Amino acid sequence: MGKVILEVNELTTKYITRFNEDVYAVDHVSLKVEEGKSLGIAGESGCGKSTLALSLMGYYFAPLHYTSGEIIIDGQNITGMHPDTVRKSILGNEIAYIPQAAMNALNPTQKIINFIEDVVQAHDPKVSKKEIYELARERFEVLGLPKEVLQRYPVELSGGMKQRTVIATSVILEPKILIADEPSSALDVTSQKMVIKMLRYMMEKGYVKAMIFITHELPLLYNVTDDIMVMYAGQIVEKGASKQTVFDPIHPYAKGLMGSIIVPESGLKDTKLTAIPGTPPNLKNPPEGCRFAERCKYVQPECKRFPVDMKYVEGDRSYRCIFTEEYLRKAYQND
Amino acid sequence: MKHTLQQVFRSSKFVTGFCIFAAILMVVIFYPLFVPNPPLEIIAQGSFFPPGTYVSTYDTVFSSKAYTLNLTDAATKRIAAKLGDQERNDIKEYLMLVGVPEDQIDSTNTILLLDLWEKNYDPTKKISGMIFSKVRYFERLNKSLDGLLSEEGLILASPNIDTGTLEQVGIINLSDYVNIKEVASVRTLPLGTDNFGRDVLTQLVKATSVSLMIGLIAGLIATFIGLVLGLLSGYVGGMLDDIIMFITNLFTVIPSFVLLILISYSVGQEHRGAVMVAAVIGFTSWVWTTRAVRSQVISLRNRDHVNLSKLSGHSIGYIITHDILPYIASYVVMALILQISSAILAEASLSILGLGPKTSEVPTLGLMMNWAMIYQAQILGKWWAYFPVLLVIAMITFSMNLMNTGLDQVFNPALRD
Amino acid sequence: MKGYRRYFLNKLLWLLVTALFAFILNFTLPRLMPGDPVAAIVARLAQGMSNSTGMKAVYEQYAEQFGTNKPMITQFVLYVSNVFQGNFGASFSQFPRPVIDILKSSVLWTVSLQFPAIIVGWIIGNILGVLAAYIRKGFDKIVMPVSLFISNLPAFGMAVILLVIFAVDLKWFPTSGGYGFDLIPDFSWRFIWSVIVHYQLPFWSIVLIAIGGQAIGMRSMSIYELNADYVKYARFLGIKDYKIVGYVFRNAMLPQITGLALAIGTMVGGALVAEIIFSYPGLGTTLLSAIQGQDYPLISAVTLIITVMVLLANFAIEIIYGLIDPRIKAAQTD
Repeated sequence: MGKVILEVNELTTKYITRFNEDVYAVDHVSLKVEEGKSLGIAGESGCGKSTLALSLMGYYFAPLHYTSGEIIIDGQNITGMHPDTVRKSILGNEIAYIPQAAMNALNPTQKIINFIEDVVQAHDPKVSKKEIYELARERFEVLGLPKEVLQRYPVELSGGMKQRTVIATSVILEPKILIADEPSSALDVTSQKMVIKMLRYMMEKGYVKAMIFITHELPLLYNVTDDIMVMYAGQIVEKGASKQTVFDPIHPYAKGLMGSIIVPESGLKDTKLTAIPGTPPNLKNPPEGCRFAERCKYVQPECKRFPVDMKYVEGDRSYRCIFTEEYLRKAYQND
Repeated sequence: MKHTLQQVFRSSKFVTGFCIFAAILMVVIFYPLFVPNPPLEIIAQGSFFPPGTYVSTYDTVFSSKAYTLNLTDAATKRIAAKLGDQERNDIKEYLMLVGVPEDQIDSTNTILLLDLWEKNYDPTKKISGMIFSKVRYFERLNKSLDGLLSEEGLILASPNIDTGTLEQVGIINLSDYVNIKEVASVRTLPLGTDNFGRDVLTQLVKATSVSLMIGLIAGLIATFIGLVLGLLSGYVGGMLDDIIMFITNLFTVIPSFVLLILISYSVGQEHRGAVMVAAVIGFTSWVWTTRAVRSQVISLRNRDHVNLSKLSGHSIGYIITHDILPYIASYVVMALILQISSAILAEASLSILGLGPKTSEVPTLGLMMNWAMIYQAQILGKWWAYFPVLLVIAMITFSMNLMNTGLDQVFNPALRD
Repeated sequence: MKGYRRYFLNKLLWLLVTALFAFILNFTLPRLMPGDPVAAIVARLAQGMSNSTGMKAVYEQYAEQFGTNKPMITQFVLYVSNVFQGNFGASFSQFPRPVIDILKSSVLWTVSLQFPAIIVGWIIGNILGVLAAYIRKGFDKIVMPVSLFISNLPAFGMAVILLVIFAVDLKWFPTSGGYGFDLIPDFSWRFIWSVIVHYQLPFWSIVLIAIGGQAIGMRSMSIYELNADYVKYARFLGIKDYKIVGYVFRNAMLPQITGLALAIGTMVGGALVAEIIFSYPGLGTTLLSAIQGQDYPLISAVTLIITVMVLLANFAIEIIYGLIDPRIKAAQTD
């Protein structure tokens, strides 16, 4: 077992709406990422996966608020730290973030190099502009970006180029862990492939030690990440190695999610295309029992009675359902 | 729909604005039921009567019943009403001008002061340097001070038809009172009268309703033009879009009030009724709605549901009414509210310039402001002639903008607090 | 720089097109009146005039100036060429004083009052707006409702309130005029001081109105920017808050500049009415007396000059905007 880079225990965060209602978008989430590994997080939009990405940064601003749990990066617990300390010594150089919409992630009226200067100097004001330029130029070249990009404004760059610029900027300080929130969803296929290649290359080069990759596109996860976590309504519902989770899901929601996507992968070709009917529960007042019960094909009355906990099965997998693995497998076969 | 309304009414800004506006509307609707007097009726001879209750002096004298009240402070009050600090100083000033040494004048001692005044005041005396209005002021002052300290009652006399001589018919004692409820003619003017002697409050209520109507007509015209042009330009696109946008851009930079002035002047005073003014305002203020609608329609044009509708072979009319209008309805309502409030302001500015609706038919908020300004109410300190008007204008536009901000926050989540 | 030149030429062309349009409007609108326009104008003029020789002279001059019997297009060319020679004809109400003569002084008063007032109001309003958006809580609760109320007050309302408080009640400033009525314009200290004192109330009433509107616009613009993805991203890279507010200020400011270009017409309109309240010797007061005196040539000249002033201000703002927004240059080089 490798060194643990990121460990999250029972993290809960909430949004406070305009009408002072609490929405628990991340509910007691625990996870662990080891050095050299990558973790994928999948789920429908609105399941809380993007909020989880924001929550993992340990730096909260309205309307998102921290409630409980801990985030440990390389042995250092950051949840108790003063926000200023988190900003100065954690963000950017311990943990970095690639936003969902890289298209708008760069300040439109600032040259790329000036933004990189701001990033570096926010952590160490003593670094000179010349040093920063050298660092940025070298990093961009290694990652296959022309150095001219540094002197450009974001509007002058194409979508794919902007995305790669954002990725390169995120790792400029060599953070230990990188959280990428759908970094490729808005791009065309070629750019998508380049982004994935780039992310892998950065791991190889050691610019980042571990990665969390969030997407709703499962085939992408299967290609990129070692482990996969499936989220539903703010909770984890299944966790396991990528291959197993994609090809052989246990939880009915995970099963439905895999089935709802057309995947041009061998072995999945013959599976039926089935969309999950219904909508996720309102997180302002989530149901007492299993949160997926309302949409689940295999629902029984006892599902809705008590909160359901995660349980382990062999092969370091876990899922959140009251039924046994055998029972579910049989049910799937009977369909 | 129901859910949206609920959301809207949970916005405190919207609710505040809505309540203010509803209150104004209520007054406009119900006031005329209680006070049915024509708003432009000239009731006062003279201008700018201050707010208060006016009691007919004649009716008071001949009121059916007189009551005797022995109030100890009546005399003090009577003197204070006629002889305030201002009058005492004026008397002192006059006395000094006619040569009474300053140390002999005690302006706080009423009896001595009036004594000196009686001895020294001479209306025929010409004091060099004194302006005529001051001379006349002292004449009036002298008359009002006459008999101020008298303890005697006032004798009423009328001529005898046969002999032609005056005969005493009654006496009014200092302690005589009437009950105001028994006086036949009493009129309360809460906001006094204007320069023409018209009841300001009644006029203000009518003016508010006319101004709201002007705002509504202008707003509807502007919104309708803006909506049609915006839909055409945004949905049809191509050449039509280029042409409409060219015109819209032209009218954006040409200041609309210049157009307003030119058109209103060209129309001429005789043809300028309230509706005409509203129409002119409406026809010159559609540009913003056009722009807003167009940009909304463009962002909608390629949405999935619109494409689906196109593929299903629906006509343009059907697509616009079913797939576009419902999505931009909130923007159109906001634009309409904004148009109404800015049209009310436009009417007011236009009237101040003397290009408002013709003055003989109905009052508007702008016309009331115009009259007050022409007769310099602001410099003469006749606040009741202009301040309530300003307040009403500000309340209307404030309430409408509050409603708009509330709507904006509900429909544009980025602006939420 | 090549991109910017294209932008500049584009805007210049637009200025010329709009100016031409303004001329056409100024020329045609009065001619759209039902009946014979010249007769109508002169008939209206006759109401206020008892001197028959004067009236005849006006009629002749008017007929000559507008070339009433010639075709429309010739009339228009004549009109434009007259305007460019500064020949707006003679004023009806102050006959035979030429219109240009009346305008010369009032344009100067108006420009030196409105230009600084609008700029100052715009700057203060924007700073308050971004502060309100960033600090939110207390500041937002006080500044916002106050600016909302102020911006809903019509410009003349603000002028009347300032006039009543500071001139009529407190007597700190004079109630009307551009300088003391007992003075003759010269460069004496007494005259300059009088001008400064008379300047204050009209100036601040325009400034306050501008602040109200701008603060609200800037606040929503800044809130919008504060929610933008680049702000989130910059925060997560550990960039300091004041730097981020700097980004937001700059980015929210840029649309405010275009906003100013679009709103300047309305602002000038409000300011003209405010001038009237103070009887300030500018274009507003001139316009009022022209309307009261049924002085058609003067009205036409004033509206034309206001339009041209607004168009020029618009043009200047667009040019400055092009210089400071990198996106303009980028968009033009593609």
